Amino acid sequence: MILSRVKPANVHGEVPVKKTNGKKSPLVEDFLNHRDYLGAITLLEFQRSVGEQVGGDDLWVPYCAFHLGDYKKAMEGYKAMTKKPDCHPDVWVYLACTLFFLGLYKEAEEASLKAPKCQLQNRLLFHLAHKFNDEKQLMSFHQELEDVTEDQLSLASIHYMRSHYQEAIDIYKRILLQNRDFLALNVYVALCYYKLDYYEVSQEVLAVYLQDVPDSAIALNLKACNHFRLYNGKAAEAELKNLIDISSSSFEFAKELIRHNLVVFGGGEGALQVLPPLIDVIPEARLNLVIYYLRQDDVQESYQLIKDLEPTTPQVQSSVSLTEYILKGVVNAAVGQEVGSRDHLKIAQQYFQLVGGSASECDTIPGRQCMASCFFLLRQFEDVLIYLNSVKSYFFNDDTFNFNYAQAKANVENYREAEEIFLLIQNDKIKADYVYLSWLARCYIMNQKARLAWDLYIKMENSAESFSLLQLIANDCYKMGQFYYSAKAFDALERLDPNPEFWEGKRGACVGIFQLILAGREPRETLNEVLPLLRNTGNPQVEYIIRILKKWAKENRVSL
Amino acid sequence: MSTPAVKLNPRRRKSERHTQVSIGDCKLAFMERADKQNTKLITNQPYDECLEVNDSEEIASLYTPTPRLSVSKKKSRLLHEMANHSSDEFEEDVKPQKSEQINGQPALSDNEEEEEDDDDSDETDSDEEEGELGSAPEGAYDPSDYDHLPVSTEIKELFQYITRYTPQTIELDHKLKPFIPDFIPAVGDIDAFLKVPRPDGKADNLGLLVLDEPCTKQSDPTVLSLWLSENSKQHNITEVKVKSVENPEKNPKAIENWIESISELHRSKPPATVHYTRSMPDIDALMQEWPSEFEELLGKVSLPTADINCDLTQYIDIICGILDIPIYKSRIHSLHVMFTLYSEFKNSQHFKALAEGQKSDTLSAPRSATAEPDILAFD
Repeated sequence: MILSRVKPANVHGEVPVKKTNGKKSPLVEDFLNHRDYLGAITLLEFQRSVGEQVGGDDLWVPYCAFHLGDYKKAMEGYKAMTKKPDCHPDVWVYLACTLFFLGLYKEAEEASLKAPKCQLQNRLLFHLAHKFNDEKQLMSFHQELEDVTEDQLSLASIHYMRSHYQEAIDIYKRILLQNRDFLALNVYVALCYYKLDYYEVSQEVLAVYLQDVPDSAIALNLKACNHFRLYNGKAAEAELKNLIDISSSSFEFAKELIRHNLVVFGGGEGALQVLPPLIDVIPEARLNLVIYYLRQDDVQESYQLIKDLEPTTPQVQSSVSLTEYILKGVVNAAVGQEVGSRDHLKIAQQYFQLVGGSASECDTIPGRQCMASCFFLLRQFEDVLIYLNSVKSYFFNDDTFNFNYAQAKANVENYREAEEIFLLIQNDKIKADYVYLSWLARCYIMNQKARLAWDLYIKMENSAESFSLLQLIANDCYKMGQFYYSAKAFDALERLDPNPEFWEGKRGACVGIFQLILAGREPRETLNEVLPLLRNTGNPQVEYIIRILKKWAKENRVSL
Repeated sequence: MSTPAVKLNPRRRKSERHTQVSIGDCKLAFMERADKQNTKLITNQPYDECLEVNDSEEIASLYTPTPRLSVSKKKSRLLHEMANHSSDEFEEDVKPQKSEQINGQPALSDNEEEEEDDDDSDETDSDEEEGELGSAPEGAYDPSDYDHLPVSTEIKELFQYITRYTPQTIELDHKLKPFIPDFIPAVGDIDAFLKVPRPDGKADNLGLLVLDEPCTKQSDPTVLSLWLSENSKQHNITEVKVKSVENPEKNPKAIENWIESISELHRSKPPATVHYTRSMPDIDALMQEWPSEFEELLGKVSLPTADINCDLTQYIDIICGILDIPIYKSRIHSLHVMFTLYSEFKNSQHFKALAEGQKSDTLSAPRSATAEPDILAFD
């Protein structure tokens, strides 16, 4: 059952309405008992066509179509009836129900108001008020709800949609206590527990129903979702495949849900074929498509999909809106960094803050990730670390996590751990990223491994980035007294750009090597490499320095 | 995967503990500082400007996400840094409140060992490494380390080239690789009881006793229509909707089911009967033995096969003639009789046993009076 549909169904295909007359025979009752609505409709239409003359009305076919989930057919049936002069006024509210499930909310409201006041009408208007975000109306229809089972269950479903799962569970449990045979309520409770992330509890409650109705599509789909959360996509897929196997080919109910979830369980396989038509029919479809594009590194496509999506409520209300907010943050962060837009980064940081700071999410892993991301964008790396440390055990060997984590470590100058974490990363795309290379080079240098930093430079193609890396190596090595690689880097820089500053750096670094030799921290033979480095520059100081070096070499019997 | 079922809350506890510890250390730090003031002064070190603390403070003051967190943590970090200083015996310093910005790293020459120890202990409880913040990168170049070298004035002058160049601080870009949430499955919504009641006013209990969903075994409308018209003997009244199967190669089940249900339908039908327009011999009569002379002849001459040089209609005439089946205007009825005869022989237990016995004995077994199976073998 999908109440969350946003996109109205296309209902303009005309179907001829046949003249009917017929009372259902006992056989129809059999079909209804088995909830074989397709069978019932076929029989009813057959009886109609052979003109079995029995008293009755046209309500049975739309009734069956409605419960089959063929709301379009039901709607057409009811609509035809409302056009007749002797139409029973209740038909309007039936029509309104079908319009509601087709996502035609305005039309549903209009139709329902033509019906006389009744409980069903009030429930429908109550749900429509929720759809229209009309809190005032919602409250007034809420007042009209009576203490009867249907009204209470309808209220519970509003609680569910507003993420008030505990309130919903309370209603279901109360009614279950009075009516032990209302087995379907177990599935509703299981749905609530699923939403509360209590997947094991959800499974237990669900099992009660499945024992009685082992082929329920809704229950089996929920079971698959629980398996997805508890185990993995494969386990979930197996459950859905089972459902498909036991269904007859004419079974169309929940087909969209199943197709959608097969994509989810398959890790996004077939997303581009299946998900686009389901956008705004199944609320998760758009978000999953955004996730799919993000995983493909297609930031622009994901941005196009999500940019116009204004979160409907200002609070984090359900898991869908939670993911909506997170994705808004993620996509804006990605776009902002890609095009260098401060506005996007600001928006991203606000969404991250909103989720991470919310009461329901501040202690969940996604909530922590959001706070870490928020502080990362604010360059408050000590705070980033507090949040990342608290969840790092869940992200062993996660390249994305490690990339952020290592940067944060390096930023608080914990270069030793930063290096270790950078080296855990396997993803080639990250490893080719200049941010990765430059930070790793800095870690190497800070950890006295300048040679490894130099190796990173050697492996790079000549580019603006390799030039930047040279500058990094030259200056950081200089600071750290690793003059040999500093001198090599300055020499390379000077050849690319005869800037006097590079000469000054090289000069200092070469003398630095000499000092290290004198201090016994660098082998004397290195002097042999220093001379050519100096001679690469046509500066009068070169000869002066070389003279002193040679003099020392002679005195200390170092062959040059 | 994704969200843990049991929620965790190490963050709050940790930051609290953190703050407490730091405050303790901090007092100590101030005391030690007081003792050590005026002992030594340390010059700025080449790496000082990289601490960037200034920067983050500024941003924080512009934007404070959660007041409680940022304040307490800011404090804890600050205190922590001081605490770090305190643990370093060679710490010597300018004013404490500025220490964080100006210094932040101890001279490393002689106390390297101790530094190592500190780091090791930090690594063991890696959760706490915010504490390392204040420690400077080890091994930064310090010209005073080389003051003791016994070198000539000339070389000493040369050494000044080293400090004459001040290495630049290279700012590196950061890149937040946003975490991508897992795909989210859809479970649908809960029954809202917006449903049409049964037209006869009886309770259907849908959504209560059972979920309001159709059962997974729905009748196939086409098959059911065929059944219905079959049973009611009202043919051709309903137009039968035949649906097509998408991607049949991927959906063999749908096709098998269709074939199965249609053959079931056919099995239930009474066998078709043909009304001959002209009189035809009785099948039993046709099954009688041939005259013995003919039987004998068959022992020498075989019946004409389909290879015989004539067209199909002539061949039918020949065979029907041999089998005593009359042919009138149309050969269809005669052929029907012929195949009925064949079918009778084929299904007859008596002749089947004979035919099998013949096969299993020897191929050269003499043709007996029961040569009829052979006769039909040409088909």
